[in-house]
Amino acid sequence: MVTAYLLLAPATLLLAGVLAYPVGWEAWISLTDFSPLNDRGAAFVGLANYRHLLSDAEFWRAAVVTVVFAVVTTLAKLALGVAFALLLARPFRGRTLVFLAIFLPWAYPASVSVMGWYWTLSPPIPTAYSPFMGHLKVSVDHALGTGAWSFLAVTLFNIWRGSSFIGVFLLAGINAVPPELFECALLESRSAWRRFWLVTVPLLRPFLALAVFLSLTTAFADLANVWLLTAGRVVFPVIGTQAYWLAIKGGQFGPASALSLMLAPFLIVVLALLFRAFDPPPEARA
Amino acid sequence: MSGRRRWRRLGHAGLLLAATVYCVFPIYFMLVQSLKSAHEDVFGNPLIVTQPTFENFEELFERKGQPRNFVGRALRRDYPFFVWLENTLVIFGGSVVITLAASVAAAYALGRLRPPGFRWWRRAIFATYVVPQTILFVPLYQVVIRLGLDDNPLLLLAVYPTMALPFCIWILSAYFQTLPREIEESALVEGASRAAAFYRIVLPMSRPVLIAAGIFTLGTIASDFMIASVFLLSEHNQTIPAGLATMEVALDELLAVAGINLMAIPVVLVCALFARGYVRGLTAAMVEGS
Repeated sequence: MVTAYLLLAPATLLLAGVLAYPVGWEAWISLTDFSPLNDRGAAFVGLANYRHLLSDAEFWRAAVVTVVFAVVTTLAKLALGVAFALLLARPFRGRTLVFLAIFLPWAYPASVSVMGWYWTLSPPIPTAYSPFMGHLKVSVDHALGTGAWSFLAVTLFNIWRGSSFIGVFLLAGINAVPPELFECALLESRSAWRRFWLVTVPLLRPFLALAVFLSLTTAFADLANVWLLTAGRVVFPVIGTQAYWLAIKGGQFGPASALSLMLAPFLIVVLALLFRAFDPPPEARA
Repeated sequence: MSGRRRWRRLGHAGLLLAATVYCVFPIYFMLVQSLKSAHEDVFGNPLIVTQPTFENFEELFERKGQPRNFVGRALRRDYPFFVWLENTLVIFGGSVVITLAASVAAAYALGRLRPPGFRWWRRAIFATYVVPQTILFVPLYQVVIRLGLDDNPLLLLAVYPTMALPFCIWILSAYFQTLPREIEESALVEGASRAAAFYRIVLPMSRPVLIAAGIFTLGTIASDFMIASVFLLSEHNQTIPAGLATMEVALDELLAVAGINLMAIPVVLVCALFARGYVRGLTAAMVEGS
């Protein structure tokens, strides 16, 4: 047993070292009115920050945008990912090439592709495609509000890259299903749609659940990246960027910490539900 | 019937084409941009390049320490791209190695040795993904400064693994858990130590899963530039993503695109090389197990 704990030590220490103190700090600060702008230390204010947020219209607007963004991107990624995986499921000529093409958006480092993507869709200088993009930006912003085009650009990027990951991930799931099972299903039902829901989806359940969770937790990384890249010019508020705004620009660390912790309980509930789908079975299957 | 089959094949081909174009086009576009001269960038067709040139790539590697030239009244900076490249290689390579070593050890403990409560331990590790990243770097900065690691690229060797560890531990321990016990036991019976049995039997068997974990780690850390650009402030300590983010895009758009490609090409090549192993490893970890 000592060996087991020794082997667990490096990973646990890394995770705890990087995450434990910051999360604890955030949780504590969310209960105070700490701000680098006042000289007297932090005063304990209980749940006032949370109460204040819940009665704030800005918060609810950000919360709605956040949830819609996460749900829409996840559904789009799932739909495209399932389509990619099914397209690649059966052998055909040139399959390797199409597979590599579908793998590419994820394999291409997102830290730099998001820059290229963003600067292409909102070009800062006159290039050959600027007039077209500028026109698009103006009409979208006009229809949906300032900042809509930038937000849409990041959303499309998130879907583009995420669908690649989920497609390849689900392909790994489909590869594990013995082909006979699909042939049996072919005898059972003639409707491809019914077969999809009765056979393919249940077989891919652990993969789908894991993919959904990873998509939900990483949905905001791209937004945060673009937000930093443009020094906060993407104005559509989501919970993450609003917390950053409050803390870094406003010095209001208490409310900011409370805000950024708001999503965690929901994610934990989602995770607890999903664990049932992808937890490995208790004993080795023979 | 044969007519219907032909239509179906045509439809399949059409969908494949659509998927390929959707996935590749943005990358193709960035590649084309980076090969353009400034003149063609402004006046040419945005979708193709007629006179490809490597001048943007060359300029990134050119002599350092001198102001390049003026655009209007703005001075164009020089970028120490070679230093960024070195930093990136060291940090990415190191992070992948650290992540794999730590996750193999932890996964072996969770999947094979199974201390009491191992399932909850594994779930807790995976649940660290719910930690909100947004203002995490504020308290993290306090730790970093107290340790004297601010503006030190080595710091990322501790932070980056935490982004991939939970997933890697998950798939590796699921795989180890489903390996039949007899595989190791036969070696133990013959007098091999547990460590030797692990090195000679379990580790070679888990090659695809290790590849899957490694590629996942690479893809994950290569997607970060927030942490890199918050913690690495001086120019000579930055990685490529952090450095590119400081570029003045309005002046150096073509250089930035060239830099994007130089960062991407090696990562993409590594991923493509191991793409098959990646899929096989994910399959093995999640279902096969025998």
